[in-house]
Amino acid sequence: MHITEPMFLALTALVDEPRHGYGIVQEVDRLSEGRVQLKIGTLYGVLDRLAAEGLVAPDREEVQQGRLRRYYRLTDDGARALQEEAVRMAANASTATTRLRARAARGTPATGGALFSGGAGRGMLAGGAA
Amino acid sequence: MSLLERRYRGVLRLLPASYRAEREEEMVAAFMEAAGDVPDEVNPRPGWGEIASVLGLALRVRIGGTLAAPRAYAWGEAVRLVALLGLAYQTVYAVFVAADLYRALTFEADPNFAGAPGSIERLLSIAESVATLCSAIAFVAITRGHPRLAKVTALIGAMPALGYAATGAGPLAAGPNPGGQVASAVFVLFPVAALMLGFHRDVAPRRRSWGLALSPIIAGLVTMGGVQVMLSLRLHEHDWLYLWLDLIGMSVLALAAESLFVLVRGRSPAWALALSAAASLLLLVRLPMMIDNYGNAPNAIPWLTMLEQCVLLIVLIGVLAGTGLKALPRS
Repeated sequence: MHITEPMFLALTALVDEPRHGYGIVQEVDRLSEGRVQLKIGTLYGVLDRLAAEGLVAPDREEVQQGRLRRYYRLTDDGARALQEEAVRMAANASTATTRLRARAARGTPATGGALFSGGAGRGMLAGGAA
Repeated sequence: MSLLERRYRGVLRLLPASYRAEREEEMVAAFMEAAGDVPDEVNPRPGWGEIASVLGLALRVRIGGTLAAPRAYAWGEAVRLVALLGLAYQTVYAVFVAADLYRALTFEADPNFAGAPGSIERLLSIAESVATLCSAIAFVAITRGHPRLAKVTALIGAMPALGYAATGAGPLAAGPNPGGQVASAVFVLFPVAALMLGFHRDVAPRRRSWGLALSPIIAGLVTMGGVQVMLSLRLHEHDWLYLWLDLIGMSVLALAAESLFVLVRGRSPAWALALSAAASLLLLVRLPMMIDNYGNAPNAIPWLTMLEQCVLLIVLIGVLAGTGLKALPRS
């Protein structure tokens, strides 16, 4: 399956512990340094897709101040899928970095250090399947 | 309950009741946690971004994808079939357009192309034809499992119809009934909208055979050959026949035959619902023409032919919709 950036970040948010809806929104916001702010409708669309693929599963329910909190956890399949996607992205990022270093070594005038300042990482997350 | 919560619950009514029963409380909890304490006095409302995200979710849930519940999946399949049927029709039409375009590019005088050879008017006319050909690319793309390419080319293919509807220009502008122009635009745009909505991210692209992908082009070539034979036999001069020989008339016959097959063989509810929608679109373009010609004494037989077609379509719409709705899974 194709893992989009919101899906990737939601899976990453669940790696260390199960979280409820708003907890996932907050963690995704933190992970992406404020770049990805999931709307609630988007979050549940993402959770539906991940649950349908068996990558996340409901963990438990709590009631806090009269409101329902349903927690979701990462399944083993989810951890595997996230691992595969992370490896794929790391390989792509590594290839890009190696080529950029080679380009710099050839003496091509740098068009700004921004190339090495995390822009590639953003692009990798946003990009589709290689 | 706060004003903001009440309004957000109102937005969530876009979602199907079964989905709300499962998710509403946790969605409200997440939204209200994100919103924080907002007093009613400031007249709070959910943001447009939140509303859009719920609308997107509602469309994906209602027009079910590969992993959806059976009922939602059946509705999704119906929408996707409407897209395929509409694009298939446009592809058949594109074969005729391609033939005209070929003649125009040889700079012969062609009645289907405005302006003198080499003029801006002629170039615009050719551009319109090229846009129409994109519908054929869209059909091939979607049947071969390339939804993104299909959506882009389908939109380009719909541009002429959209332009005519927006400007009031075009081939039907001179007609007495302006509804014909709008009906033609809806006829083209509805399947494109079905394509956009039906083939969303939750739908795994399916690569169908090249035979199916090229079948409307082959059908278009066969139809064009058939039309030439009928013209040489002067069949179009028979008042009672010629409205069965245009593309809409032949589509009515094809749709009636396919409907009979679906009703007798009891195929999926999605097919019945999609054919009902397709029949509605055909009725939409025939009806203004019939109204335009009402009481036109010298053309009584063609008018009766249109009446026959409209009655046939209305019957098909009712029977197919009833059959499809009855056969839908309960959940």
